[in-house]
Amino acid sequence: MKNVAVLGVGMSRFGMWPDKSNADMGREAGMAALKDAGLSFRDVDASFVGHIFAPVMSGVRVMKEFGLTGIPVQRIENASATGSAAFAEACWAVESGRYDAVMVLGFDKMTAMIADSAAATDPANLEDAILPAGFFALWATRRMHERGTKAEHLAAIGAKNFNNGALNPMAQRQSKDKVTVEKVLASRMVAWPLTAMMSCPIGDGAACAIVGRPELARKLNPGRPVVKVTASHLGSEKYARGHLFMGPVVGPAQMTIDGAKSVYDQAGIGPKDLDLVQVHDAFAIEELEYYELLGLCAPGEAEACIERGDFELGGRVAVSSDGGLISRGHPGGPTGLAQLWETTLQLRGEAGARQRKNARTGLCHMMGGGSVCVIHVLQRD
Amino acid sequence: MADAPKPRVPVKAGYFTVPENPSEPPRLLGTKCLECGEHYFPRRAICARAECLSERTTDVEMGPRGTLYSYTFVHFPLFGSMRVEHVGYGVGQVDLPEGPRVQLPLAGKQEEYRVGMTLEAELEPLREDGGRDVVIVRFRPIGAAS
Repeated sequence: MKNVAVLGVGMSRFGMWPDKSNADMGREAGMAALKDAGLSFRDVDASFVGHIFAPVMSGVRVMKEFGLTGIPVQRIENASATGSAAFAEACWAVESGRYDAVMVLGFDKMTAMIADSAAATDPANLEDAILPAGFFALWATRRMHERGTKAEHLAAIGAKNFNNGALNPMAQRQSKDKVTVEKVLASRMVAWPLTAMMSCPIGDGAACAIVGRPELARKLNPGRPVVKVTASHLGSEKYARGHLFMGPVVGPAQMTIDGAKSVYDQAGIGPKDLDLVQVHDAFAIEELEYYELLGLCAPGEAEACIERGDFELGGRVAVSSDGGLISRGHPGGPTGLAQLWETTLQLRGEAGARQRKNARTGLCHMMGGGSVCVIHVLQRD
Repeated sequence: MADAPKPRVPVKAGYFTVPENPSEPPRLLGTKCLECGEHYFPRRAICARAECLSERTTDVEMGPRGTLYSYTFVHFPLFGSMRVEHVGYGVGQVDLPEGPRVQLPLAGKQEEYRVGMTLEAELEPLREDGGRDVVIVRFRPIGAAS
């Protein structure tokens, strides 16, 4: 990918906001991104909306908040990877030369979704027996069996992400005190061996990224580093023995391995070139597995890397520098865009207290249940 | 006079058998590809292997035994469940001898489970509906790990 830059980013802080609508949060994130880009909504050529729990028309209706300019509006859904999938479509639309500036807006109110489903779901439905927390706990049990992983390793990831999130004003969970491994282990058990502080919260929020031609980025904000999107991959699973067809499934490992190879080839880089990485850490065991699947370390080395602090903010490569899904939050549609918000700010040197020194290259990885894998590489020009 | 056993119906049709004899374990309803031999759960019309994609498939019954690949116990209730026994329920992934890995509830307690052990399917009554027991399929250990 040669001709795509992030022109602007914006967020509406993730949290539990019973009094805010999707339109309120979406407008706040979108206006922040337009202001960051130095654009008026009149300058936006098209939009892709990422919204999971969507009634009909919700994409175009929320986009009316910015004004009715007649642009194409499309809604995209791909579970947790919804925002990332919308971003991928926008990038390829710019790369193809079709548009100069495209707005990608993600929003969701997961608090409302949970309230609705509790009334509608049959408690004994075969599919509903397996919650996401239970599903990823199965990854953890298997990893413990194969590699001798301890609950402390998972707790260390939770603690790291909480402590990163404390430095992010847009994070949903912000701890005043430093979070320790002991505190994460002592939090409520969700699905053995995963505790509440190894798991992402339920929340509401919105995030926006505007992508466009790199010349436009230079013209709009002279002197500001240009952040280019140098690789974009979206794939679903290839069948392999052991594939699960029921429940909130994510896997198998090969999908992330293939996606990582694709983006490294597109960008002409390797995992050693990465300064920071955002992953789908809905549960700490996922982040642990993705260290290896993205090639940040060799298979079987994740536990030793965690013990050394390789993936801390000041470590070899910063992973989940904004707190990740565990601390920054995971409302659904906007989650992948929050990763792109973080990476863009880091590559511009605007990430404040959590700034990674001289960050030049970042990777954003998202999984969506079903399942799909979306990966982007962003680089400072 | 002892109550006669109630007739049983599956919570969802097309996923598992409900044998007439209550002591007989249920079997899982799947598909076998007649072209390449791959087995699937649940049933599907077209073979999923990229190299095959054959439409020549047939219904099969699988199990009732399998090997535990992984397990957990979930410490909060199912969405919308009011049943106390649904707090702390087990979930497992079980590899069937025919090939498929299935993900279903587990009976009993966490301490009874170890990766690699052999499990057998059974039916659990969930509720009564018009004089019939509505049942779901789940697994239970039958012996020690090999």
